[in-house]
Amino acid sequence: MFVSRSMVSRVITIDKDATIFEAQEKMAAKKVRHLPVVDADNRLIGIVTDRDIRSAMPYSLFKEACKPEEQEKLARIKVAAIMSRNPKTISPMHTIQDALLMIKEEQVGAFPVVDDDGKLKGILSVRDLLRAFINVLGIGQPGTLVGIEVEEKVGQLKNIVDAITEENISFGSVLVAQTWETGNRAVFPYLLTNNVAKVKKKLTGMGYKMIDPMNWYLDKLPEKP
Amino acid sequence: MKNTGYLHDVRYMLHDTGPYHPEIADRLTAMYNGIKDAGLLDQLTLIPAVRADLKWVETVHDPKYIRRFGDICMTGNRTFDYPDNQMCADTYETALLAVGGILDTVRRMIAGEIDNAFCAVRPPGHHAERDQAMGFCYFNNIAIAARYLQMEHGIQRVGIIDFDVHHGNGTQHTFENDPTVFYYSIHQHPSFAYPGTGREFEAGTADGQGFTKNSPVLPGQGDDSYRKLIERDLFPAFDRFRPEVLLVSAGFDGHYDDDMSDINLSTEGYSWIMQTIMKLGNQYAAGRIISVLEGGYCLERLGELAANHVRILLNG
Repeated sequence: MFVSRSMVSRVITIDKDATIFEAQEKMAAKKVRHLPVVDADNRLIGIVTDRDIRSAMPYSLFKEACKPEEQEKLARIKVAAIMSRNPKTISPMHTIQDALLMIKEEQVGAFPVVDDDGKLKGILSVRDLLRAFINVLGIGQPGTLVGIEVEEKVGQLKNIVDAITEENISFGSVLVAQTWETGNRAVFPYLLTNNVAKVKKKLTGMGYKMIDPMNWYLDKLPEKP
Repeated sequence: MKNTGYLHDVRYMLHDTGPYHPEIADRLTAMYNGIKDAGLLDQLTLIPAVRADLKWVETVHDPKYIRRFGDICMTGNRTFDYPDNQMCADTYETALLAVGGILDTVRRMIAGEIDNAFCAVRPPGHHAERDQAMGFCYFNNIAIAARYLQMEHGIQRVGIIDFDVHHGNGTQHTFENDPTVFYYSIHQHPSFAYPGTGREFEAGTADGQGFTKNSPVLPGQGDDSYRKLIERDLFPAFDRFRPEVLLVSAGFDGHYDDDMSDINLSTEGYSWIMQTIMKLGNQYAAGRIISVLEGGYCLERLGELAANHVRILLNG
């Protein structure tokens, strides 16, 4: 699960001497919000975001709405003047899990991916992580999610998977919510079938509690101390 | 009293899904008996199945898919594309009879022989994609009927209302970039039900933007939510679109007693939905409504649900 597998390799970059209007136009045209700034050797020297550009504009006005003299002044601002010079980066050999935890920690929208020589290899944004998660959730395939409350002990998942497999049903994914009531966990198999009534009855018969769908959750904010 | 057609044929029972499958031939028997016991059979015009001309099936499905389906069926395979799609050697022919019967029913309505109709066919159709069988569906009956109305009978704007508890992904995908067919579906929210599509933001693509509308319903909800959502989402959409003919994907699997969903529609709730569709049909489509069976698996309820359904069609 390396970053190199999920990152965008053909990165849209910008020169440090480009104007902020050029950067803004490039972002709009390519539909990106982060432009890594590289030197002639493709070495990362900074990153500029749509937010950096908006902050540089007075009253966050678009350039069309500015007075001519104001616009001229803005047109002279170079990317180098507003970019972040030491952006947080990630290596292609970091993992998706690293990236998730780092994005949560650093509160950024994207990481430039840089190799050991400081050369830009790609960019990994929240969007790429979301795509990876849509993929592992399996929700691109037709299926039905089922919610089961189980006691937290070894072997529960095996029993559930066996019972479902006996019905000749394939799995799109299995999610386990970690923040359920004490001693219990919630298991959410995503089953690639339209026909879950029978398997739900079977699991209930085995003593498992089917959770009311209106009470399903995967995550909630940690309670305040 | 309207002249209502009832497409019913024992050959629709030949599609055998084996043991332990909810989509079974008994569903049709339950409906027939319900209609008969309600004393409605004599008032209906019985229509037999007819085999479809493949050229109509090809208006929606890839010819390669049609051939693959026929071939797999003949080799005696019990499943097609997904394990959900259980079948037998007669499935392909039965699916062709379903399409053909519906097209013939449509023809009779356009010719004025009947005013409207209920087509109690198997296998169902609304999950079937251009090149894939899905969710017990092989040929997309309702989508083919819409294309037939347009190409054979010059109807320009077809409105499809799908109240099966599952989203009709195949129908939506067939018409999502087409502004001449409006697809409206109300179904259990896709995060809680098969097949996982039909979210509110799916509203058509390209030229068809604004000609698809989805009303997802949360688990546990029933009559009140359906009433609110249909009034909020369907009424204004059809007021703008003005369909010339209404096609209905009728699924009864949202009933409280049907264990295929967590939706709690009552028998009366289903009547309200159909009465509302009749009103829309009278308002925009000169009463031209063809209803086609999709899901609905509670054998104890299907009789009364089908009887109410055709009674509403008869009453116009």
